[in-house]
Amino acid sequence: MPKRKVAALEKVEADLVNLQYKIRRDPKSYAQEFYDQWLAYDAQRQIFISSPTTASSDDVKKFHDLVDLVAHVADLYPEITTPYPDHLKDLLNRHHATLDKELREKIVGSLTLLRRKDVIDSTNLLTTLFPILISTPSKTLRSLLYTKIISDLRESNSKSTNHRLNRTIQTVLHNLVTSDRTSTKGMWATRITRELWRRQIWTDAKPCDVMKEACLSDNEKVVVGGVRFFLGGDKAREEMEDDSSDDEIDMKKLKHQSGINKKTKKRQKALEKAVDKVKRQERKKNAPHPLNFSALHLIHDPQGFAEKLFQKHLQNKKNRFTLENRLLILQLVTRLVGLHKLTIISLYSWFAQYLTPKQASVTSFLASLAQGTHNLVPPDAIEPLIVKIANEFVSEAAASEVAAAGINAIREVAIRQPLCMNDTLLQDLVMYQKSKDKGVVMAAKGLQSLYREVYPELLQKKFRGKAASMGLKSGEVKQWKFGEEEAGGIEGIELLEKYKEEQKEKKKAEKVGEDGEAKDDDEDDDGFNSDEWEVGSSDSDDSSTGWINVGDSEDDEPAPKRAKTDSEAPGLVDADKENAEVEANRISKLATTTILTPADLLKLQELRREANIDKAMGNTSKRKKELIARHIDEGVTADDIELPAQLGKKSTKEERVALAKDGKPGREEHKSTQAIRKSKKEAEGKSTTNKEKARKKNFLMTIGKARAKNKRSLQDTKKALKAHIARSKSGGRRANGT
Amino acid sequence: MGSSNKKKKEKKKDFQKAKLKVGKAKAKAANFTDTSFKAKSISVNQQAILSEGIDAVDQFKQNLSLAVTSKSDNQRRDALAYLTNQISATPPNNPVGTSAILTKLLPLISDTSATVRTKLLALFRALPPAEVQPNVEKILMYVRGGMAHMSNIIRTDALSIMEWLLEVAGDEVVSCPGGWLKTLNSFTSMLGWNPSLVSALSNQGWTSSSKPTLDARKRGSEAQVKQIQVLTQFLVAGFKPETPERHNPRAYWDNIYRLPGTPSPFAHLNLFGTPRDEDSEMYPDRPLRQRVFDAKWRGAIAAGVEGAKKEGGNVGRAAASLNRVLNDGTGDGILLPAR
Repeated sequence: MPKRKVAALEKVEADLVNLQYKIRRDPKSYAQEFYDQWLAYDAQRQIFISSPTTASSDDVKKFHDLVDLVAHVADLYPEITTPYPDHLKDLLNRHHATLDKELREKIVGSLTLLRRKDVIDSTNLLTTLFPILISTPSKTLRSLLYTKIISDLRESNSKSTNHRLNRTIQTVLHNLVTSDRTSTKGMWATRITRELWRRQIWTDAKPCDVMKEACLSDNEKVVVGGVRFFLGGDKAREEMEDDSSDDEIDMKKLKHQSGINKKTKKRQKALEKAVDKVKRQERKKNAPHPLNFSALHLIHDPQGFAEKLFQKHLQNKKNRFTLENRLLILQLVTRLVGLHKLTIISLYSWFAQYLTPKQASVTSFLASLAQGTHNLVPPDAIEPLIVKIANEFVSEAAASEVAAAGINAIREVAIRQPLCMNDTLLQDLVMYQKSKDKGVVMAAKGLQSLYREVYPELLQKKFRGKAASMGLKSGEVKQWKFGEEEAGGIEGIELLEKYKEEQKEKKKAEKVGEDGEAKDDDEDDDGFNSDEWEVGSSDSDDSSTGWINVGDSEDDEPAPKRAKTDSEAPGLVDADKENAEVEANRISKLATTTILTPADLLKLQELRREANIDKAMGNTSKRKKELIARHIDEGVTADDIELPAQLGKKSTKEERVALAKDGKPGREEHKSTQAIRKSKKEAEGKSTTNKEKARKKNFLMTIGKARAKNKRSLQDTKKALKAHIARSKSGGRRANGT
Repeated sequence: MGSSNKKKKEKKKDFQKAKLKVGKAKAKAANFTDTSFKAKSISVNQQAILSEGIDAVDQFKQNLSLAVTSKSDNQRRDALAYLTNQISATPPNNPVGTSAILTKLLPLISDTSATVRTKLLALFRALPPAEVQPNVEKILMYVRGGMAHMSNIIRTDALSIMEWLLEVAGDEVVSCPGGWLKTLNSFTSMLGWNPSLVSALSNQGWTSSSKPTLDARKRGSEAQVKQIQVLTQFLVAGFKPETPERHNPRAYWDNIYRLPGTPSPFAHLNLFGTPRDEDSEMYPDRPLRQRVFDAKWRGAIAAGVEGAKKEGGNVGRAAASLNRVLNDGTGDGILLPAR
């Protein structure tokens, strides 16, 4: 019999990779081959299942390869491979602890591959992987599963938010945290939630709820995970956003390179990809900023949450968490209290035991206290604490840093609740500005200037300062009572009103000038000019109200003059005051009587900005308000408390050297700056400049030209020099600049 | 110039004496060996060359492991030959037992070397049939794996193993879990008569796609003849009329009080395993087998046989005998229970 020719795939050594390639190119023709392999897979699977722990490495390897092949082509033969995903899931669920490492990874990889090919859906995949993530003892498998889960969630949310999937997973995580509060399994819930929050895939209230439950867990690790999320999750999210915008592509460079380098399809594609990416980035930049609420704002029932957190982890004497973690929890509780203006009275009495200079990391406690104070906290609750701080920290015997920290802490509390102080204590504290230590002086002065603004009556007359005393006299500085809130309004609305008035006047004057008669502008009175609704037409021509605001706002009037009138004729002053009240009432009506157009809002913003610039020059009370606003958003840290103590200190030599070295290239050995620059350039893959090349050129090679130059006539020299200047102006021989 | 300077320096370096410094440890010599570690055992990754000092049991075991793990074809072949000798000697020398040998050697069914596979078959033939019978399910898995192998030669050799298996344990082959339907599936897939494949191929449009790779030209008529022959044997084993057991007056009491003589006598109940689907179910008696065969495979196989008969020659002859079995097996006058 003649020897038969053996086809490539029939050879004994024929590999599955080759077959896979062929199947993918022509699935119909290779259906028979695939079916054979499917049967082989099935047989191998049964061999494996019959003794999963004792399977020989050879069998495992074969099974591994077959799983790989089937996973890659499963989407081409959906009828045959229907049970395949279930096989894999079953294998993984039953044997994940004992499976061979590579095979296990292959099975996980195959499942995700099937997900990518849309053979199974995300919910299916994630509900398979998640229980294993929680239960497996293998670290490598855990990290693999974690990355797969995260990437699948990202993937399925990339085009549009997959609400159903998110809801399912969030519910799973929520159940995980709440089902067993003592186990560390909740860690995975916090990790996954935090990561997805950071990537802005989950931005709603549900993940916050998961984290809230994590905070109320019994396990220290889980609790810390949750607490850290609330304290730092939003910052991480912002940083992530900044990072993503960092890797910008130098389009100019790429285009230049594509002009010079060899033209291949690959390079062409790379360039197109880069262009695409740049375009996408541009679009992203121009897109409206997504409105992402911070996690602290999305918490449901913050009062209940803060109370539970405080009672469970802080007030409870049996709690054995480390001090560091308890401080984190305290930070979260006080942050919530300050931000949402919650009332937890027992919190303040609890603080008392920790306010001694010997307490470890006491500055953090002080910062938390300041953070947890707001204007609706009863002064009675804080006053003992303030007295205690003053007694423990601020005395002649105490170290200057301690005293400075104490005074500063008192000041931070007083910013938020000025009523917490009595005059004798304040007197004592203010007197510390006569101290010898600069830090203490600065802290005391800070306290004094704060009270000059918020409650000058509490200060002795000689400490009140000029502005405050005059304000007191004129009644301009008003003492807020406990619980009193400033009437809210739109900031700068009076400026807009004024601006509109001015515009109207101007227009009237113009019209008078043009037509000789003042035209009635009743037609514009309704304020629904169509062009005003377009932001682009910022020069809206006319005011939209019939309101005439004659006087200016009271801030702008010179204070001394007023003071004088005040002292001279009380009756007149009363009338003036009434007048001002009427005025205030009137002003606030602009927003209530008309609808502000987008153009109006734009103008309002502009006016506000201008006004702010004005105020930055002199008026400091605004600055203080901004300070408070900053604290509400960011919270107080121990550094804020410790800062003034650093003021008077001289830095050591090491610190100064470190400061000078900061941001400069590293210098391991003694080297010239030139050498460092050169090595840096080389590391970047750059060559020498033309100038350097010229400088290094062999002397013998240049000597001929140099001689010839010497022999030139004067005219030639002149020409050459002129040409040189012209060339350098036009950017060199190749005219690089133009 | 520069390079020669460099070379000179490098050469010099070899002869320079290392400077000793106060307070510093002496530099380690180039040939220094770290002996600070301690180990409870050392595994040496080599085989012993000597064969004299080893006793027979160890040598048997060594050859058994060599037959599977050795990288060289010849070594594997020789090891198998040694094992065959030992087993077929009188009295047979088999210190590890048939089951252990099978577990070890079954993966060799799809070995790349042809000589190894023939030696393997020879070894299997030397095994006592009674001890093979309990392991049939496991052997069948590997045989099915071999029958689905990409290489045609390996498939044919797997069929030889199947032949042997049908000889020594025909009843067990057709009645073990998955032994009937799954094996039939493998056979039909080999022959290209598989209906599920046809449906997967021609699921769209009204044109029937050509049967691309199923024809005898590619598979080789020789191989196809063998496939049909073995399938015939398989069906014969499956449709064999059961001889009624002689009446045993003590059977009733044995059933209740005696330990059963066969391994896993309650396997058909599947008390502890995973639930089986239709394909991997046990079909322990003939009517059951006939019924599922009629329901699932008769049409496909009959159609395939018709096609093969038309080809004539050896293939046609084999197909004709298969056809006879098909007709005999199901038309022997035994009435099937109503469906």
